[in-house]
Amino acid sequence: MADATPPPDLDSLNADLQQRRERALAMGGEQRIEQQHGKLKLTARERLALLFDPGTFKEFGLLAHQHSLTGGPTEPERTPADGVVTGEGTIDGRRVYCAAYDFTVMAGSMGMVGETKVARLRKRALLNRLPMVWLLDSAGARIQEAAGSTFAGSGALFYEQVQMSGVVPQVAAMLGPCAAGTAYIPGLADFVPMVKGTSSMALGGARLVKAATGEETTDHAMGGSQIHCYVSGVGDLEVEDDAACITAVRQFLSFLPSHNREQPPLRAGADPRDRRIDDIAKIVPTNPRAAYDMRKVIKRLVDDGDVLEIKPTFARNIITTLARFNGRSTGIVASQPMIKGGALDIDAADKAARFIWLCDAFNVPLLFLQDVPGFIVGTEVEKQGIIRHGAKMLYAVSEATVPKVTVVLRKAYGAGYYVMCGRGYEPDALLAWPGAEISVMGPEGAVDILFPKQIAAAEDPAAARAQYIAAVRATIDPYIAASWAMVDDIIDPADTRRVIIDALEGAVTKRQRRAWRKHGVPPV
Amino acid sequence: MVEVKAELVGNLWKIVVDVGQRVEEDDTLMILESMKMEIPITTPITGTVTEIRVKEGEVVQEGQTVAVVEP
Repeated sequence: MADATPPPDLDSLNADLQQRRERALAMGGEQRIEQQHGKLKLTARERLALLFDPGTFKEFGLLAHQHSLTGGPTEPERTPADGVVTGEGTIDGRRVYCAAYDFTVMAGSMGMVGETKVARLRKRALLNRLPMVWLLDSAGARIQEAAGSTFAGSGALFYEQVQMSGVVPQVAAMLGPCAAGTAYIPGLADFVPMVKGTSSMALGGARLVKAATGEETTDHAMGGSQIHCYVSGVGDLEVEDDAACITAVRQFLSFLPSHNREQPPLRAGADPRDRRIDDIAKIVPTNPRAAYDMRKVIKRLVDDGDVLEIKPTFARNIITTLARFNGRSTGIVASQPMIKGGALDIDAADKAARFIWLCDAFNVPLLFLQDVPGFIVGTEVEKQGIIRHGAKMLYAVSEATVPKVTVVLRKAYGAGYYVMCGRGYEPDALLAWPGAEISVMGPEGAVDILFPKQIAAAEDPAAARAQYIAAVRATIDPYIAASWAMVDDIIDPADTRRVIIDALEGAVTKRQRRAWRKHGVPPV
Repeated sequence: MVEVKAELVGNLWKIVVDVGQRVEEDDTLMILESMKMEIPITTPITGTVTEIRVKEGEVVQEGQTVAVVEP
């Protein structure tokens, strides 16, 4: 017997599909989108439109939504895409995966279905060896779905991020809150830009902190960019707004390959490789006690003055910057004499070690610009564990097998010279300016350790000390190091750009294999 | 009121402002001698120097307040 109702025709099936899609694309609805804009935030879909090359975004999981686990109603209309937009697109023509949390849907909270989508994305990123970007704007785990001991099965997201580490680039852009355990997403990512004022991250949100310890605070006070980009070092770059944040993500990825078995993209530029820097003497004082801004030197050395500084407002006594030399991506680790005289402390060592690991993992050559009076000494830094942090930087620079080039501008003292890739750390070229001072310590310190009795016994101790200092100072001379072939060359500072490019290009075919080991035991 | 603190331990070599003097943000208040370098201690705000809490030649500790500036 024939069914009384005829089967639906293809047009009406398609119309139904279209309607479902449109409903999901409307996100949390006009009112919530207005609230999002009111907080000066873009929606997840507006952000994706900025992130990817126009028209290249391909979504999956649009028709997903939350399901009730407690027998209550399931409300597809309330949870389009289950609060997270997932898919891929291209950035400068290269494929990238992205999960964009949608704050207009249940505050971007991470529900079970949404997380299934993101898990699928992580898996694809690793299988296809392509970068993964998180656009985070989320209240955290959706407690309605997660409270209770089914928690026992959760947590694989971080495990997977660790498997991805050093294989594909991972970027966690902070465009809103990222509360509770989900703060480990940025914690494990390679680059974490934060929007000033709107973004925050903390292991426990303000309400949880109040319940757990009684402390009164706010999410922003505890975990805004003013904390993480200046004090804790968890954030990599503070940016003004969503658009600037997305620009930073695109810029960061432009320096890196899509995965660790690829070379970073070359970007041909118009900046001449042998451009001389005639005003460099005006920037770097020859008086070794006088400070200057190393960022000005870097700007003049690199292609078109174009840099992306990582952690520019944290541990400012060292600079870590991505830039290009004759089109080639390069990670620069440079002393900053303007801050703490460029002396190294725990945060500086920490910042540099992580940056070196990032560059080495993704085949980005390293340039070290040394003007370092050494590690800060004293009781305060010993309490902070300067030995293990300094050892971590030694570890990272020793492990790095990418091309390494070192230029000593002025000071290269003690362990500072080591961690900034001195001779023993196998730079492919070690170059010095004519005024370079390479030594275990400064003449004053050396004299007070070596000749205290002779000075005390002298008729005029002050004059004796001055004499000893002059004698030791005479042994601090770059031509002595050059005469022993310990530095490869002494160069005219104005030629530094060309010499760096020659050295980097001279090492492009470098292949270095280490003894097999499961992994080392790095100090942290 | 902003307390200006030393960023690292060192010998206070020179004080270059007086109490009551107007200063602009980032102006040098004093110079520390540490790690073979002359390290300027600058004011984070524009204002008037109301207190100088150290003397030339004194050793200052990391985090020690060396001056006070009122906006």
